[in-house]
Amino acid sequence: MPAIAAHHQPDRNFKYWIIAPAVFLLLLIGLFPLIYSLVVSFMRIDMMDTDTSFAGLYNYKQLFKDSRLWWSLAHTLLITVIALPLELVLGLAMAYLFLEKLPSRQIFISLLVLPTIISPIVAGATWRLLFDNKYGPINQIISWIAGQRVDALWTINPSLVYPAIIFCEIWQWTPFMFLILLAALSNVDKSQTEAAEIDGASFIRTFRYVVLPAIWPVMAIAILIRGLDLFRIFDIIWALTQGGPGTKTETISIYAYVQGFKQFETSYTAAIAFLVIFLLTVVCTWAIRRMGLVK
Amino acid sequence: MSALPFHRRHATRLAMRYLVALILVVIFVFPVYWLFIISFKTPDEIFAFPPVWYPNSIQFANYAVLFKDGDAATVGNSLILASVSTFFAMILGTIAAYSLVRFKTGGENLAVWIISQRMMPPVAIVFPLFLLYVWMGWVDTYFGLILLYTAFSLPYVIWMMRGYIEDIPLELEESALVDGCTRWEVLWKVVLPMARSGLFATAVFTFIFAWNDFLFALVLTRTEVTTYTVQVTHYFGGQSNFWAKIAAMSVLGTIPVFFTVAIMQRYLVRGISMGAVKG
Amino acid sequence: MVTRRDVGKIGIAAGIAGTAGLAPRAAYAADGAATAVEAAKQYAGQTITIVWEAGLQSLDPLNFSGPKWKELTGIDVKVVEVPVAEMFTKIMQDFKSGAGAYDALNVIPSWMPDLANAGALEDLDPFVDKYGYRDELMKIASTYRDNQMKVNGKIYGLPDDGDVFVMYYRTDVLNDPAIQKAYKDKYGADMPVPPTNWKDFDQVGQVITEAGGGKLYGAAFFREPGYGNFMFQERFRNEGGKFFDADTMKATINSDAGVKVFTDWVAENKWAPAGVEQWGFVENLAAFLQGQTAMTISWPPYGRWAASYGTDQEVMSWVPKSTIAGKVGYAMTPGGHPELAAGFCLSVSSTSKNKEAAYLFIQWLNSEATSLERVKLPYALRDPFRDSHFTDAGYAALWPEAKDYLKALQDGANNGLLDLSLLQTDKYEEVLRQSVSKLWAGDDPKAILDAAAAEWDAITEKIGVDKQKAVYADWASKSGAYPKM
Repeated sequence: MPAIAAHHQPDRNFKYWIIAPAVFLLLLIGLFPLIYSLVVSFMRIDMMDTDTSFAGLYNYKQLFKDSRLWWSLAHTLLITVIALPLELVLGLAMAYLFLEKLPSRQIFISLLVLPTIISPIVAGATWRLLFDNKYGPINQIISWIAGQRVDALWTINPSLVYPAIIFCEIWQWTPFMFLILLAALSNVDKSQTEAAEIDGASFIRTFRYVVLPAIWPVMAIAILIRGLDLFRIFDIIWALTQGGPGTKTETISIYAYVQGFKQFETSYTAAIAFLVIFLLTVVCTWAIRRMGLVK
Repeated sequence: MSALPFHRRHATRLAMRYLVALILVVIFVFPVYWLFIISFKTPDEIFAFPPVWYPNSIQFANYAVLFKDGDAATVGNSLILASVSTFFAMILGTIAAYSLVRFKTGGENLAVWIISQRMMPPVAIVFPLFLLYVWMGWVDTYFGLILLYTAFSLPYVIWMMRGYIEDIPLELEESALVDGCTRWEVLWKVVLPMARSGLFATAVFTFIFAWNDFLFALVLTRTEVTTYTVQVTHYFGGQSNFWAKIAAMSVLGTIPVFFTVAIMQRYLVRGISMGAVKG
Repeated sequence: MVTRRDVGKIGIAAGIAGTAGLAPRAAYAADGAATAVEAAKQYAGQTITIVWEAGLQSLDPLNFSGPKWKELTGIDVKVVEVPVAEMFTKIMQDFKSGAGAYDALNVIPSWMPDLANAGALEDLDPFVDKYGYRDELMKIASTYRDNQMKVNGKIYGLPDDGDVFVMYYRTDVLNDPAIQKAYKDKYGADMPVPPTNWKDFDQVGQVITEAGGGKLYGAAFFREPGYGNFMFQERFRNEGGKFFDADTMKATINSDAGVKVFTDWVAENKWAPAGVEQWGFVENLAAFLQGQTAMTISWPPYGRWAASYGTDQEVMSWVPKSTIAGKVGYAMTPGGHPELAAGFCLSVSSTSKNKEAAYLFIQWLNSEATSLERVKLPYALRDPFRDSHFTDAGYAALWPEAKDYLKALQDGANNGLLDLSLLQTDKYEEVLRQSVSKLWAGDDPKAILDAAAAEWDAITEKIGVDKQKAVYADWASKSGAYPKM
């Protein structure tokens, strides 16, 4: 690269040279698909037809009539609003548990991280094995506790299938929250919390006014990351229920996959993708402002 | 309780905490245990009712069949895809981050745009991406998947490395420049060594992201570069769930990550929290 | 066209094939297996990729036919295992991507029109003629040959699997005087052995469960949505249901027949083993082989394994040991018209880079000689589909009741009902799968089916009512579309 030849003055183009490849890749993988699907979403392409005639807002109008789509969004939201706070609270409680000295603390922490480093699809598969009515251990344990044989169809029964998904989700991602919050809590200035305690402040008050403000920047990011991940949840559900029974656990990611790759509704899927991006942008912008991440 | 002397109370509390910690560990580790033992069970033990809690003997037949039929090669594919893409993402991401930090290239807007790419749900772009890949002939190629994983990891790498590079004292770089180093040499000899622990931590996570990917691999691979995550799901359904194969394949796919994490452990906690703090 | 020189070659090839363990009586005018082997040798050292259903089905190419083909021709076979629910998607994706990753395919006949119309399948006529396979192909049992081979008059697949539902029942249980007495006491009539309609079946099942004391149940079934789809299609038509109004092309699955099937299913679950809603192939098999259920309906392999045929082999070690060998009777499913559920054809992908070798491999698999070996593989799931399989003396001697078994399969083939096959069949079937799934979630049968019919209508409308109507009329005119009442 000739740019390097200029020795003493920082080359004017250097800063562009080094950022260009990354930006190029992001444009190719991130932006190109967006533009492409925007164009396609106004056409009528499906499995059998490559009808590229202009369909106007047809596909977008379909979105509003498509109750399965809105249900899938509702399911996504349901999983998110249940799993996220649980992960947060559990993670925080665990972080407090391990904050002070504890024998074999490091080993415990290493073991607790295991679920997080397992591939989500494997996590889903594992829980499917655990939840099996006959050969899985969970119903066996429940049967022992209940003192009689319990047949719980975790992946079929509509009232059990959400708990099943959420168990799996919490099992896998609470340790992630735990690690982040443990690190954040360790960085809180001890003298301040001790001072508050000496003043007679309750644990809750101390947490609310001393600890929380200190860990909030980290916590907010963790919530955002997990929130986004939950919004696109796919693997765990794919392994556990594939969206069933019926379409009762179909999330937006599963639904878009079904439309795109099982039904081959090219144009309609593109419209769904745009709806998702739009919603996400709105929600994220709001959340980021609300959490004070951007002043 | 308050009547107890302080150290007794303290001891009781410690015991309670220890007990709770122990229970938590059992709960969180049990599923992993179950996955592992299924992979060692004989078919009789897998289909036993009530379930067998520990196999009578450790046998490797479930693994042997994966190697015999070539299924285990998918772990190799995952390994290639994840490590090569991590390598490129680290290089491209680090120099890009350096540009953002030191030269404020593109101002805040570019940085925000890059990070916003991380928020894009894969399912929104996987379909157009599939069409792009079809058009370019990249479906089911190492190149295609590596390109994708590299690009997908970039926002994260840039985000993280930005934090680490900001921590490097500017004076060090300036004195290197005065000593006659080129910009590239400064990057190579000053910045990278200083950001080493950050590099490791970021690389581990980048590796895990690529390793865990299922959706892209499901859509963009066929036979040549099938990843282990896709292979696992091939055993679902049909006439039976091949539990032994599901478990053995899962374990094979989990071991490399276990090792990576075990070796890199000291960087990880810092990596997670740093990224968050610096974001 | 077979020239004299070719005949000479074939003779030699047949000799080789014979020594390699193929049927020794390679006396066909043109032995499809030998011809294929001889012609394929020029591709030695290459690899062909074949899509096969994941799991048990794949044991055939993995453990038997793949290695053997390699030995005979030097061509490697790479098996891509895909779950059945994903097969259509994967094949279509590969075609759309033009990657040409797959050479040969297993195709479920009801999808064949869609795949052929989309251009994903290669027209096999030129190959069939080139290698003189037509006569041998025509010896496939007529049901499969006439209904599962062609689209628009062209050959797109070699029918390769005699899939048909069979009713299995425990002769010792159904002939047990105590149970027969209990039946008579309850219903005031002699117990039909075996039951031939669903009303009788349910009564017999219930009596057995009541007498079984929690150890033995009257029956269990496939209830998970994938197989539930087939079970519904069969029972719905045996109850007199029609899928569409032939004039308006409006879906009529929400008719009384449909609602009755769903309502009866829910009622049956009460006396079937707990958790039956979740059961698929293995759960149902395990229960039957372990003697926990007295009747069930499934594909042909159950019959072989129940007789303990070949289950001592290592690859079969996962099959629970049969405790009921010698006590199993075979019958038509209630109503008398079993579903020719799923089935498989062998096809060549239109994007394959090695069509010739791919074709030769599937011809070899499908030939009289090789297919006879394959349907006898104890672990395989390919079921007799040639007239010569049904009458094979060797097969009939495999276990004491094998002769009855083959007769049941042949009768099933002759009376069987074809899976619904239209344009974009998979979409219609997906609605049925969803409906089954909703039924187990506790929704009301009528409401489910009304919704399903509405969805079917929407699909039809999107495809084009007239277009689909013509396809349906063509399908409905086939002998196996609806029972002859």
